[in-house]
Amino acid sequence: MNEEVLMEIRRDYVLSKLRDGERIDGRKFDEIRHIEIKTGVFKKAEGSALVKLGNTQVAVGIKMQPGEPFPDTPDQGIIIVNAELVPLASPTFEPGPPDENAIELARVVDRGIRHSKAVDLSKLCIEEGSKVWIIFIDIWALDDDGNLMDASALAAISALLDTKVPAERFELGDDFPLPVRDLPIAITSLVVEDKILVDPCRDELSVGRNVITVTTDQEDNIVSIQKGGPFLLSEEKLDEIIELSIRKARDVRSILSKI
Amino acid sequence: MKKEEIKLIIDNRRLDGRKFDELRPIKIEAGVLKRADGSCYLEMGGNKVVAAVYGPREVHPKHLEDPSKAIIRYRYSMAPFSVEERKRPGPDRRSIEISKVSREALEPVIMKELFPRSTIDIFVEVLQADAGSRTACLNAASVALIDAGIPMKGIVTSVAVAKVDGVLVLDPIKEEDYYGEADVPFAFLIRNGKIESISLLQMDGRLTFEELKEALRLAKKGAMKIYQLQREAIMKKYIKEEVIE
Amino acid sequence: MISRKIVLPGDLISTNPKAAGVNTYVENGNVYARVLGLLDKTETTVRVIPLKGRYIPSLNDTVIGIVKEVTANGWIIDINSPYMAFLPIPENPDMKVNKRPNEVLDIGDAIIAKVMNIDPKMKVTLTMKDKLCRAIRLGRIVIINPTRVPRVIGKKGSMIKLLKSELDIQIIVGQNGLIWLNGDRRKVSIAEEAIYLIELEAHTEGLTDRIAEFIRKKKDEILR
Repeated sequence: MNEEVLMEIRRDYVLSKLRDGERIDGRKFDEIRHIEIKTGVFKKAEGSALVKLGNTQVAVGIKMQPGEPFPDTPDQGIIIVNAELVPLASPTFEPGPPDENAIELARVVDRGIRHSKAVDLSKLCIEEGSKVWIIFIDIWALDDDGNLMDASALAAISALLDTKVPAERFELGDDFPLPVRDLPIAITSLVVEDKILVDPCRDELSVGRNVITVTTDQEDNIVSIQKGGPFLLSEEKLDEIIELSIRKARDVRSILSKI
Repeated sequence: MKKEEIKLIIDNRRLDGRKFDELRPIKIEAGVLKRADGSCYLEMGGNKVVAAVYGPREVHPKHLEDPSKAIIRYRYSMAPFSVEERKRPGPDRRSIEISKVSREALEPVIMKELFPRSTIDIFVEVLQADAGSRTACLNAASVALIDAGIPMKGIVTSVAVAKVDGVLVLDPIKEEDYYGEADVPFAFLIRNGKIESISLLQMDGRLTFEELKEALRLAKKGAMKIYQLQREAIMKKYIKEEVIE
Repeated sequence: MISRKIVLPGDLISTNPKAAGVNTYVENGNVYARVLGLLDKTETTVRVIPLKGRYIPSLNDTVIGIVKEVTANGWIIDINSPYMAFLPIPENPDMKVNKRPNEVLDIGDAIIAKVMNIDPKMKVTLTMKDKLCRAIRLGRIVIINPTRVPRVIGKKGSMIKLLKSELDIQIIVGQNGLIWLNGDRRKVSIAEEAIYLIELEAHTEGLTDRIAEFIRKKKDEILR
């Protein structure tokens, strides 16, 4: 069935249950779906992770190679985040270069990693002014059951934790683990009428793609916010969402620190 | 190291210890994705691939529609992190060729005439690559098609044969593929446990006619083993369906 | 309790071409399965009951569809299939001389209709001239996997009779996987959950009893 029509039909069911104070999968409003993280899955990558967030699945691979630094940061390594919503992951994804959703997703994940300073880029200098390590973070969506954003962010940081800098391959010394010093976690919430639903699944997104993603670091600082969707947000709602996101991020972070 | 210097067969064993007619370890799981109509995760040696099937579904853009049958589309794609040196996302010439011959391996088996004016889309992503990723992908696509309920004449199974140090070996690894004298990927239509015909055939290198015939024989042996694993993967997923009220 | 064997495409299921039923094909005097499904062998026919697959319309199917486009001659209807269907103006009894098509049915409206004709190019024509057919103005629509529809109906209609009697609501099941429910809002919710449960556990034994149990439990909850 046409995806929009399908969503219309699901919409009624989701709203009806919401008015009874329930979510369609029985979760509490602030409950995140079951998380599964596997690291070191793809052996050709310097680091990798496969994350399942409910039925949503994302693969992230880290590739590293030496390259030229940016002129204004001659002694800093470089992080490049790319996301592909490959057609395999959803009936609505088409082959082709990344669209606005893929680009937004990559940029939000990037900001979370960058502003939390999760990777100390000054430790990735090989030769100041001419050679630094470049980290490619490639996000490959595999199954879109809603909230690819949080699943991708989690897979990205998990993959970074798994990464070994391939110095030997480039004759630059011994391999060493990538120094990761923070754990940025993204929490996305769907705003429906006056309710906030954390970690929306695809069917819940049928009521409208009105989401907010808040990324925090291990000290509960906010390192990224993204309002995604054509809706109007009140200050009170924003406060509520941020408080909630900080709290939920702590829960997810504790799962992450166990791997 | 020069191509001529490396020894690929030592004491009648290959570099990874396998006999000439031995397959690499294979793992197959059907129905691994929620959104796709059919799907399959497959490991073959160092290859890790995932296949998804969508369809039959409406064709967009409409001018690609065929009024008498479904069109089949196959997209082979490699993730940037699937190989040693990062691969830029997007189709390259090799991926486009592989997509074409893979589609042509499945087309004659799918009953396209049952679905005029529609498309059956097959997407395969290579998450970790080793030699023979195209054969791994085709095996996964085949299972995904079954899982999607697509009507077919039979099951398509794929495996490659290489010639290394003058010897024909089944399911080559990277070194055998790179340093060998020939690489021959095959795919077969298998029906009711019998190999009926060849649906994919390519040859890269140099072989005598006799060698090609021997390669075919070897490939058929390997394909029958893979076919059993493909069947098991589907059965494992659907076995509970066998009991109804 | 019946146990049926799973078959895969290309499995040989009979050597009698005259027995070939649905979802099989004949070649060289042999009958093979052509889809993943359950083998159903009787004395006269051998057929395969598919376990997966999109809805492909058949003549006389009851379907529930959503209006996608309004044209001068009728309405284009999305019936949850790779194929759109068309409802011509003369086939809609609600259409009156002084009305425009979009005043009778507009984009997004839902209807219950029957498949009247299918041409070789799979152009599907619908009709609403049947007592089951109507425009849906009230109630709720549920979508399930079309291959599960027989389980929602049940053997000799047993499952659907259970839902109707226990919940006292209207239920019309479309062959295309869409189901219309109408009645008391809370009972409709229970029916909806029950249907998703049937879809999930369609293969298991004693399902009818468990659904009956589920419904009774939910009814108690809302009465408290």
